[in-house]
Amino acid sequence: MINLLPLIKNETIKIIKKKRFYVILLILLVLVPIFTYAQMRSAERTREKFHGDWRLEVQQQITDNENSLGSDRVPDEWKKYRKIFVQQLQYYLDHDVNPNEPNGVTFTREFMANSITLFIPLLIMAIASDIVSGERTSGTIKMLLTRPVKRWKVLLSKLVTLFMFSSLIVVSAFIITYVVSGAVFGYKGFDMPVFTGFQITGSDVDLSAVHAVPQWKYLLMQGGLIWFVSLTIASLAFMVSVLVRSTAASIVVMMAALIAGTILTNMASAWSSAKYLFMVNLELTDYLSGTPAPIEGMNLSFSLAVLSVWAVAALIISFLVFTKRDILN
Amino acid sequence: MNSSKWIWRVVSIVSVLATVLLLAGFVYAIKDIQNPKAAAEQSSPSATPQESTGAKSPEAKKDLKIAVIGDSLAKGTGDNSGMGFARRTVSELAKDSGRKATLLNNLGINGLTTTGLLPKLEEKGTQYVLGQADVILLSIGGNDLFQGADLATKGISGTSNPGTGTELDPKDLLKGLPKASTQLKAILERIRAINPEAWIVYVGLYNPFGDIEELKIPGNQAVASWNQSALQTINKYSSMSLVPTFDLFQHNLDKYLSSDHFHPNGDGYQQIAERIVQGIR
Repeated sequence: MINLLPLIKNETIKIIKKKRFYVILLILLVLVPIFTYAQMRSAERTREKFHGDWRLEVQQQITDNENSLGSDRVPDEWKKYRKIFVQQLQYYLDHDVNPNEPNGVTFTREFMANSITLFIPLLIMAIASDIVSGERTSGTIKMLLTRPVKRWKVLLSKLVTLFMFSSLIVVSAFIITYVVSGAVFGYKGFDMPVFTGFQITGSDVDLSAVHAVPQWKYLLMQGGLIWFVSLTIASLAFMVSVLVRSTAASIVVMMAALIAGTILTNMASAWSSAKYLFMVNLELTDYLSGTPAPIEGMNLSFSLAVLSVWAVAALIISFLVFTKRDILN
Repeated sequence: MNSSKWIWRVVSIVSVLATVLLLAGFVYAIKDIQNPKAAAEQSSPSATPQESTGAKSPEAKKDLKIAVIGDSLAKGTGDNSGMGFARRTVSELAKDSGRKATLLNNLGINGLTTTGLLPKLEEKGTQYVLGQADVILLSIGGNDLFQGADLATKGISGTSNPGTGTELDPKDLLKGLPKASTQLKAILERIRAINPEAWIVYVGLYNPFGDIEELKIPGNQAVASWNQSALQTINKYSSMSLVPTFDLFQHNLDKYLSSDHFHPNGDGYQQIAERIVQGIR
């Protein structure tokens, strides 16, 4: 255990010195202002239409959704979503809480909830996909392995470093989003109540367990769930990075899996065994906000179990392969 | 290598802190999702529910706020431009009297009946919208009487084969009438109670089947007695009015009805809007 720490230190310095982490921060600093601007424009427009009165806006949202329920052209699954959505909006209205009050914290919450399936995993992959295959591409892996350290320790140090940076990425994503969007929408909103605990049975919402949570607590919970997803993605990308020689290929493999996941979540409600795929289970924050899961029968513990199994399997494979394989160039 | 030491210290400490924080959040989230317990009903003190009183200042009177509630007619179904009589009324008001009018909300829902509207009036959001309005436009009853536009097409097919045209039996038109008109009365009274000051405009019914031989007379009768019973309630209140549409459509069905043969088209809505504006002035 003693000689593991220097290895981790070494890996950490490598990532910082290779400027991988800076690239990630830079991506965040470029993209978040763009999203903030877009959100600002659309908020301005709705404010104009409803004269700044959010109750009118929410009521119109309810009416519009109710109208689409009557239409035969709307697929039944969408109707289910909308029915649930209407009931939630009604709940917010009944309790006099604006579900989309414009402030930095709300923007952060919505942005993070939307980025859990693609954006955050992408940032994680920027580090994870390179961490082993990068050493191969540059040939430095031989130097690493000729040292009198066991191979599994080398790999473990890389994994620990990756997990450390995963946490850093999640936290910095939160901070950057909050700081940037706060400059536009204001930094308040930590105490604003958010409702959670909507329990969905069929197309009905059980409101008996709904309770208000201050938004900062909600963000904390959300962060935790995103962190878990990030670790899973990190483990999988780590495996791919061990298996595939080039960084580019390893990024492509992971991206393909993730994009397939977003497509599947949109259309696979009929194919129920798709729920065992990790990509379909990434939206853990949906369980917090009460958005129905893409496939019937999914719940938080199910998704956590699926993700854990995939992550653990990926790690086992990476360690087996890495310790057994000959390193040729 | 002083900088590496520094990097290592910062990164390791920050990442450990971040991990602990996120882990705490994760555990908390699982706990909260798995055993959600409803907190003691806590009302949010930050928002004041009754802001509507402030909006009723005399200065706001210049700016007419219009709320629309009811069925597909209120929503504007059939109007290709999507404006319906709601938006047309707003633009007519601006054109006509120079009074600035704004449409607060259009709460029209396709296929709504009086039975469906009554519980809606108990919803907080609806009450809020109605409470804010200076003018409330109401359209309801068409679906009670004709049981939805779906039956319109069946009614037409029934004419070609009268033996099977049981769906829209002329006698049925009058059967649901008493119940529906008591409900209409309840609706009007409820809206009056929600907003005692607003001008309430009820858009009367027309007979969309006036050109179908066996539905013409019973349809006209049903519509007439519906409008009559609506008037009985409306006459009791000072700031309530019924905008008649029966005569508008009576002999102009092909001109003012949209292709579904039930809802008005853009021109039809325009006529209704003009009448509404005449009444508000």
